[in-house]
Amino acid sequence: MKGDKLGEFEELILLTVASLGKDAYAVSVKDELENRAARTTNISAIHSSLYRLEDKGFLTSEFGGATSKRGGKKKRYFQVTNAGITVLQEAKNLREKYWASIPQLTFAGI
Amino acid sequence: MTSAEGKAKRADPPLMGLWLVQLFISDELIDEVQGDLEEIFQDRVECKGLSRARMHYFKDAVLSIRNANLRRKRKLTQNNSYPMVKNYVKTTFRTLAKNKVYSALNIMGLALGLAACLFIVQYVDYEYSYDKFHSNHENIYRVKYMVYRSGNLDIDCAAAVPRVGPFMKENMPEVEDFVRAFPMQEIFEKNNIQYRESRVQVVDPSFLTMFDYPLIHGDRESALEGPYKLVITETTAKKYFGKSDVVGETLKMHSWLTDEPKDFEITGVTADVPNNSHLKYNILVSYETINSRTRNDDGTISSENAWGWYDFNTYVSLRDGVDPTEFDAKFAEVLYEERKEDFEKYDFRADFPLQPITDIHLYSNLLQESEPQEQGDGDTVFFLSMIAIFILVIAWINYINLSTAKSLERAKEVGVRKSMGAHRRQLINQFLVESFVLNVIALTLAIGIVIIFTPLFGRLVDIEFTRAFFTQPKFWVAVVSILALGSILSGVYPAFVLSSFRPIEVLKGKLTSNHSGIFLRRGLVVFQFAASVTLIAGTLIVYQQLRHMKTHDLGFEMTDTFVMEGPNRGDSTYSVRLKSFYSDLESRSIIGGVAGGSNVPGSEIFWTRGMRQSADTEDKNVICYLVGVDNDYFPTLDIDIVAGRNYDQDITTDTVNVIVNMSTVRSLKISSPEEAIGVRITVGGDERTIIGVVDDYQQLSLKNTINPLVFPLLEDASGYIITKLNTDNYQLALKEIKESYDEFFPSSPFDTFFLDEFYNRQYVNEQNFSQAFTLFALFAIIVACLGLFGLTSFTALQRTKEIGIRKVLGAEVSQLVMILSKEFMILVGIANVISWPIVFLIMNGWLNTFTSRISIGIPVFLVSAILVLLIAIISVGYKTLSTAKGNPIKALRYE
Repeated sequence: MKGDKLGEFEELILLTVASLGKDAYAVSVKDELENRAARTTNISAIHSSLYRLEDKGFLTSEFGGATSKRGGKKKRYFQVTNAGITVLQEAKNLREKYWASIPQLTFAGI
Repeated sequence: MTSAEGKAKRADPPLMGLWLVQLFISDELIDEVQGDLEEIFQDRVECKGLSRARMHYFKDAVLSIRNANLRRKRKLTQNNSYPMVKNYVKTTFRTLAKNKVYSALNIMGLALGLAACLFIVQYVDYEYSYDKFHSNHENIYRVKYMVYRSGNLDIDCAAAVPRVGPFMKENMPEVEDFVRAFPMQEIFEKNNIQYRESRVQVVDPSFLTMFDYPLIHGDRESALEGPYKLVITETTAKKYFGKSDVVGETLKMHSWLTDEPKDFEITGVTADVPNNSHLKYNILVSYETINSRTRNDDGTISSENAWGWYDFNTYVSLRDGVDPTEFDAKFAEVLYEERKEDFEKYDFRADFPLQPITDIHLYSNLLQESEPQEQGDGDTVFFLSMIAIFILVIAWINYINLSTAKSLERAKEVGVRKSMGAHRRQLINQFLVESFVLNVIALTLAIGIVIIFTPLFGRLVDIEFTRAFFTQPKFWVAVVSILALGSILSGVYPAFVLSSFRPIEVLKGKLTSNHSGIFLRRGLVVFQFAASVTLIAGTLIVYQQLRHMKTHDLGFEMTDTFVMEGPNRGDSTYSVRLKSFYSDLESRSIIGGVAGGSNVPGSEIFWTRGMRQSADTEDKNVICYLVGVDNDYFPTLDIDIVAGRNYDQDITTDTVNVIVNMSTVRSLKISSPEEAIGVRITVGGDERTIIGVVDDYQQLSLKNTINPLVFPLLEDASGYIITKLNTDNYQLALKEIKESYDEFFPSSPFDTFFLDEFYNRQYVNEQNFSQAFTLFALFAIIVACLGLFGLTSFTALQRTKEIGIRKVLGAEVSQLVMILSKEFMILVGIANVISWPIVFLIMNGWLNTFTSRISIGIPVFLVSAILVLLIAIISVGYKTLSTAKGNPIKALRYE
């Protein structure tokens, strides 16, 4: 199924959510992406990916507290599900397999 | 920080952005998304400043539109709506086919109503299109001429004086340009063939640049420069030369502009004047021509400098954005400065207010209009627009009536659909689609009718419509809006009634009669018939007034009266030739009398002078109108002399005497006609003695008041030659007269008319109006009757069982018909009563525009009531009779 695979950006978001632990919501994900991966993204792209990942079952969410800075609006905190962890693991394994099969020679050329 | 402080310090994101997010993000996500955006926004306010933060917020909001589809719930109706609509259309056609009579009635009614409406739209559009073909029409004004004497309005004239145009341009910076047009009727000659041209205008060179009469040949700027130049229309060119490029050719003009008939050079040819121009010409004469004629000894030129010769239609174009009212006020002051000496000395005031050129056709009824017969009437046009709306509403009401009456039949369908799971919204949609389909069919039919019958309609109202009307975007905008409005207005009510049925009740057959809409239906029938009665009674009154005007005692006799327009004067032997012509005519047995005059009844008099009793001072002057007559003028036209005597051939001093009409006697403040005899009056500087007073005959139509008329004796007055015929054989008489005429005036054009036709031409507008009125009244009543017919059919159907039982119990057919039609008769009766005051109010207003009018009598109302009742009985009777006559067994088995 199409929904089983992750795109590069989706993988990044998923990883970010995982690394943020209990503090992952749209704005913090965006900040984290900027700080750690040096990727400037628009908030709308983050929203779009987060909700889509949730629809695919890789994320779950719950409402968190509202702050006055948010105009009294609730936050939605995301967490990676087991399925999410599995899919991240798969992606990582796949890459490692490729890395292992690259001949040393190529590096020597650098 | 308290929350109040927090709020006060808060920076607000841009409204547009908030609104965008609100609009596009689904309800489920809206809170969190807005919260996130807000949080980022507040961060940015701190580090980047408010304005950049707001810009960013807006950008975020715009980009968030991509998330519009996230977590959005699907709506029910979005599911395969196309097949449903297809199904609705299919059901519509099935329903139509199921009851063909009903469908035909419904569609025909609607189509006729729409057609009538489109006809009127076409007519009204034409009437409003007058003079709008000038590209600068919004800035062009005609200068009116108004004279007040001791505070009373004395002259209210469309033609101004020659000086005012140039004076305005010299003194008012707002004026861009001016044009004067002096109307004439003269004889033109080419190769010894003479024609009388009635639409000749002497105009300034700027005529061709200010107005948009397209010049085909010649130069727009210089065509009318210099004296003795002509610009003619294409048709005129073809009449004289057989071709249109005639620049450089000459035409000989016989007029007072030159001593001898003179060849004028043609310097330009324009396209024919559009029908919707208030100013019409066949030939334009350069203004220098009249200037070279009216040069006075002191070096002034009357046609440039005169402040009192009011025969010059004057137009000015103002600069963009100038307010004409302010202009009028400002000019009044400038004018007073210039003319105050004369104003004070003779105790009068002249005023030259501006009149928008586009208002002339519909809202102007002044002295010396350029085409008085053609002047439209804004009220009439407005009235017709109202009728159009009336008819349209009647047609829509029909649809509503028939659909709700028919709802019983559809009830089962609604019940089945509902139990199959149809939502009410879907049912409403279905019936709206149905009404839309019907409206489209009816409108297509209507457009067909309009396109086919437009030429006929044009003949009826005396307008040449072009097909171009149908290709205008305006027309299609009207059509589409009528369609949209019609579908909704006529569809909504039935849709709501039908969709409200409860499925269990209708499927059990409990719903036997639909009482919910009965009051509305009755109300609608009353409205329809009230409108029809109003139109019928209105038509009757218009006809009565027309007949009244035509049979009214006008104070002169116009039957069997044959009139020739005066021949070309030519040389000095004219008087002698005229005399011999008269005696030749009189010697013939078919001619009862011959007379000459400068005017005939029905022709507007342009010859005016100030008049007073010679004993009075000059400030007592009143305006009078002069008609030059010969000895036989009054006897030939059978105008009564109430006091004194007619001119006598044997009394040579009669040239210093004068005959006046009663109106003159009154305006000279003489108490009786007998006392007027022998009074000396001064008319335009000449002193005359009154020797006779004639009756106040109707010089112009009954729409006009009777003016003071003065009839000086002119032995060879021959603007018009009037002959009284002794025979009914007009053709023979005409032939004999023409033979004699050609003998005495060989090359003069022979232009003739019968006086009664000529006189009644003044009523051509009323005639057209009454014909249009009749047509639309007919439309309205047909549509209303179709509706009534349909409605009775359904009530009869509903009461089939009742009728069967009554019949079995011994009711007569006549009683049954009575029972069935009673309700409608009562409704039509109510409609009559409602319409009477409306008719009275409207028609009384219309009749008040005539100086001699009929009063609205009871017979009109009776006749229209009986007529409508009869028509209603026929349309109701047919169906009720067939129901009442039917076999009761069948009726009782019916279900």
